[in-house]
Amino acid sequence: MIENNTSLQLEIAELMVQALNLDTTATEIDPEAPLYGDGLGLDSIDILEVALVVSKRYGLQLKADSENNHQIFSSLRNLTEYVAAHKTN
Amino acid sequence: MLMLRIMTWISLRLGRRIARSVLHLVALYFVLFSPDSRSASLSYLPRALGRPATWLDLYRHFFCFATTIHDRIYLINRSYDLFDIDIQGKENIRPLIDEGKGVFLMGAHLGSFEVMRAIGRQVPGLRVAMVMHQDNAQKINDMLAAINPESSMDVIPLGRIDSMLQVQERLDDGMLVGMLSDRTLGDEPMTEINLLGASAALPTGPFRMAALLRRPVVFMVGLYMGGNRYQVHFETLADFSNIPTGQRSQVVNQAIQRYADLLNHYTQLAPYNWFNFFDYWQSVPASLDENQHEKSDEGSK
Repeated sequence: MIENNTSLQLEIAELMVQALNLDTTATEIDPEAPLYGDGLGLDSIDILEVALVVSKRYGLQLKADSENNHQIFSSLRNLTEYVAAHKTN
Repeated sequence: MLMLRIMTWISLRLGRRIARSVLHLVALYFVLFSPDSRSASLSYLPRALGRPATWLDLYRHFFCFATTIHDRIYLINRSYDLFDIDIQGKENIRPLIDEGKGVFLMGAHLGSFEVMRAIGRQVPGLRVAMVMHQDNAQKINDMLAAINPESSMDVIPLGRIDSMLQVQERLDDGMLVGMLSDRTLGDEPMTEINLLGASAALPTGPFRMAALLRRPVVFMVGLYMGGNRYQVHFETLADFSNIPTGQRSQVVNQAIQRYADLLNHYTQLAPYNWFNFFDYWQSVPASLDENQHEKSDEGSK
């Protein structure tokens, strides 16, 4: 499970780097650092893009009214855990 | 809120003509006693008018602003028949509403966006959710409740991680999502444009969002033209439905340029309708600088 998550985490990081055209590489993203604001420095529209790309790739249904959204997008690690638990493809 | 209730009472009981005499006093008060508003107005008016501004121009600017604020009371109270509203460019929005796939409606702090409440009969299906800051949303809802408890406004508050997901859901539902795109959403970079002959900064966020969600964007202004007359304009701004791969930032920049052109056009058509009461041009260097420091990766986007 931990093994799986590591490769999934790298895959998600890769998706983010591509979608947002980031100057960092996927392996350089600190999984614990906040995605939003300080940390990776994404703004709210970047987060939207991540949400769109990730939902499409893994067949997730991210809902606007979910209480957990803040938690899900707080770091790469949390996003990965959420995807691992909910992905359908 | 007490002042608002008193003003609402005067406006609805005594009528628009009598209530407007109060507005003349308000405008006069600002001309005489509000140096901040005066200097903000003076930073703008000469650019739009193409000549130095006089005291009368200042007065007309404040009176125009006071009028649009005051007329909200009637619009919220659904007294639409008080107004003579000329709508231009309906053909730019009707087909998009009929398609039902969601549309972005971009306005500015120019004239009255609220006047769209009154045009539902002429433009059926105009269901709009407004994107705005949480505290503004709170103020507006308090105001609506004070004027007409039955009225409501569909607001998407900014600043939450899922704000953008809400935008997407409203669009998927076939609604229009409205934003005043001449001020920043909060945390996104700005881009430099030419406004009335000098550099100013526009936020890129609203345009990036529209491109990301692949929707058409229509520009809307509701200009106050004196007396009880308003002029609503719908203009095609961009269509992001099919962006060729790798060209997003290019089409976003084109849309921002088009938005700037429209601001240039309509500020000159109706110069007293500009309601950004701060030095819009002064803010450029600071905000652009700040973003260069904070977001060094922005160049690659």
